[in-house]
Amino acid sequence: MSHHRALKASGLIAVAAILSLACGGSSGGGGNGGSKGEIDIGVDLPMSGGEASNGVPTLNGVNFAVKQQNDKGGVKGYTIKVTSLDDAVNGKHDPQKGAQNVQQLLASSKVLAMVGPFNSNVAAAEIPVANRDSLSMISPANTNPCLTKQVSQDFGGCQNYAGYDPGSLRPTGTNNYFRVAGTDDHQGPANADNAYNQLKITKVAVGDDAEAYGKGIAQTFIAQFKKLGGQVVLPLQDFDPNTTNDFRTFLRSAQNAGAQGIYFGGTDSNKACIVRSQMKGIFPDTAPFMGGDGIVTVQCLTDAATAAPGMYGTTATKDADQVPDARATIDAFHKQYTGNIDYGSYTIPGYACAQLIMNAIGKAIDANNGSMPTRKQVLEQLGKTSNFGSVLGPVTFDKNGDNSQQIMSLYKSEAVDSSKKYLETTDNKQVGWIFVSAKDYSTS
Amino acid sequence: MGEAGAGLSPNSPSEWLVFSAVEKTGRLERGPRDVPPGLRTVRQVRAVLGGRLGTWLLAILAVLVIGLVVVPKVVAGGYGFFVQILAFGVANGAIFALIALGYTMVYGIIELINFAHGDVFTLGAFVSLPLLSAFGLVEGKSSGAGLWFGLLAVFAITMLIIGVLNMLIERVAYRPLRHAPRLAPLITAVGMSFILEGIMYVWRGAFNIHYPDLLPGQRLPIGEGASIGVKDVLVVVVAVVLVGLFSIFIARSRLGKAMRATAQDRDAAALVGIDIDQTISATFFLGAILAAAGGIIFGLYFNSVRFDQGFEAGLIAFTAAVFGGIGNIPGAALGGLIIGLIQAFSNAYFQAAWTDVVIFAILILVLVFRPTGLLGMAVPQK
Repeated sequence: MSHHRALKASGLIAVAAILSLACGGSSGGGGNGGSKGEIDIGVDLPMSGGEASNGVPTLNGVNFAVKQQNDKGGVKGYTIKVTSLDDAVNGKHDPQKGAQNVQQLLASSKVLAMVGPFNSNVAAAEIPVANRDSLSMISPANTNPCLTKQVSQDFGGCQNYAGYDPGSLRPTGTNNYFRVAGTDDHQGPANADNAYNQLKITKVAVGDDAEAYGKGIAQTFIAQFKKLGGQVVLPLQDFDPNTTNDFRTFLRSAQNAGAQGIYFGGTDSNKACIVRSQMKGIFPDTAPFMGGDGIVTVQCLTDAATAAPGMYGTTATKDADQVPDARATIDAFHKQYTGNIDYGSYTIPGYACAQLIMNAIGKAIDANNGSMPTRKQVLEQLGKTSNFGSVLGPVTFDKNGDNSQQIMSLYKSEAVDSSKKYLETTDNKQVGWIFVSAKDYSTS
Repeated sequence: MGEAGAGLSPNSPSEWLVFSAVEKTGRLERGPRDVPPGLRTVRQVRAVLGGRLGTWLLAILAVLVIGLVVVPKVVAGGYGFFVQILAFGVANGAIFALIALGYTMVYGIIELINFAHGDVFTLGAFVSLPLLSAFGLVEGKSSGAGLWFGLLAVFAITMLIIGVLNMLIERVAYRPLRHAPRLAPLITAVGMSFILEGIMYVWRGAFNIHYPDLLPGQRLPIGEGASIGVKDVLVVVVAVVLVGLFSIFIARSRLGKAMRATAQDRDAAALVGIDIDQTISATFFLGAILAAAGGIIFGLYFNSVRFDQGFEAGLIAFTAAVFGGIGNIPGAALGGLIIGLIQAFSNAYFQAAWTDVVIFAILILVLVFRPTGLLGMAVPQK
């Protein structure tokens, strides 16, 4: 390529980048804002295809927090703007697309921090890119422990568990990644506690979808269940979701070995809830089916079909509906966003992420004597977050970037009783996920 | 067919394959006498393994493994459990067999690995979904004669739609390339597969789609307190009936005879007045109606379908076809059945993570000892 053509090509790329920023970006809220200028918060979430149901409600939460702040005059005189990008390719979250999006955000000097991503494998691709330029990231939903800390050598350490560890993701050695959600290593124990202590089950069989998340929560479930005195009747079974349609051989073996319930580490898209549907006819209808946040979905209720009631799922997050102080925010949100898919489990965590970033930006502006801070200054302030009163309650970040509270929420699926409030229900309002309990696992 | 290639006079199918490969590529220009001693030994060993001795060795090995590894586990697991696993395995195998037949027929007649066939199978399930509701078949509400006649109608209409569609695919994507280099139709087949998946993805999304659970949920007692599902039995019966009807059709009907003739020698078949295009079209039609039936049965049996499930199911079914001897219709059915059984037994008595390893290890062993598959290949002779 000649020099002239190379110049032309790079010019074209620059134009394309600007255009796509202009098209892809959506500005958050209106409001009066401040007069000193604009500061951008980047957002990277899966916004299209089947995963739009994850990304759109979360972005709404971010936009709503920013709008409320701008209505109050912005942050220290600066108007906050939201630039949102989509990391889904063909309807599925894509790590490479995520990393590209971060590059795109880094190209604008106004972007001082970002919210996202939604999926842990996308985070693993994005953190190193953002890390080199000190871009703060804060995720409402990532739960893979290895993004922030090592996992026990019992599970082979992080390189074995996830293929990366916190150190390998942070080339500069300084942390730039934070999250409000808890980590998966507590999800298994939370369900084990419930099974053994509340459901009084002593024998289970455990399977997983052969992915890091599923295998991880399954292993931590087994460890805790055995510690409590329970018995796992079969060795952990890994099922490749692409080649397995029939889980009945496993279920039949489990029943044969005396299992009273099944724990399955996996996601609905990896057929976790097909396992539940196939329990019918092999297990009594009352036998519980347990799993992590990958099953606390409407899709799971649909997949489990007539066997949908009687599942127990954990999430590594605080349920906003259970936080009394969040009530006013949720009500105000519903006044502005009236569509039935506008609100989701991660709307309020998205809101909290935006709050945390704007708080850090505010402090960085102060530290910079009122002028526009650098990304590094924002990162320093975000890392110092201590007892900040977010919509989800007080947030303190530890040195790894984790929330000092590790709240695990437990949900149960049951036939809908119209007098109760459900996290989610199927379209025909027959079955829904209802909150059971929550517990802080940060000390265990 | 092993006796082809008189000049080289090989005496076993595997040796014939080695020689024909050399003939075709033209890259190895040495005659058999110039072969270095090491390679000659390898060939001799392969020739021996590929012969009758190999088959015996394989049979002995199979009996040993089953006797020493599987039987003790089965005995420990109990009778009822064994029968249940057997039923699961046969039912899964029956579905694989339905798909495998389409692969094997198309390969037998035009030597094309029709990668789109797995997706034709999925499309069968997808197309039948709206038809089920059109016929008023609703989960938990339909039963008796209405259910059975409704299902029969859904089967018939879906099979017809998918059959015609597959003929169109052949007309558009494969026929114009019939005399093109072998890779060209292979790539259009891969392309067709992606197109079909894309259409189903856009149509219904990237989720598991619930397929109504219409079949009776009763269980048949089989003694000692054990029972197997009516569903399992139904799936097997329907598949066996379909494969049976189909085999009779191929063996007895005029069209079946034309298909076999075209498969054996296309030019000679054309010389005796067989319409080759029509016969190949019919092959795609028949392959597709079996796949469509397989798709509906899969849906009714597992109650969940997804736009991309055909890729893996197709791969397993293709494996089944090679296992049984590609081009060989009873072979494909047998291959499907065996893979279904291996899957079920491996999942039930051993680690599920090893299941694919076990299936393909067995496949490799079978092909080493019997390169033409369990029942022998039946592909066009040149």
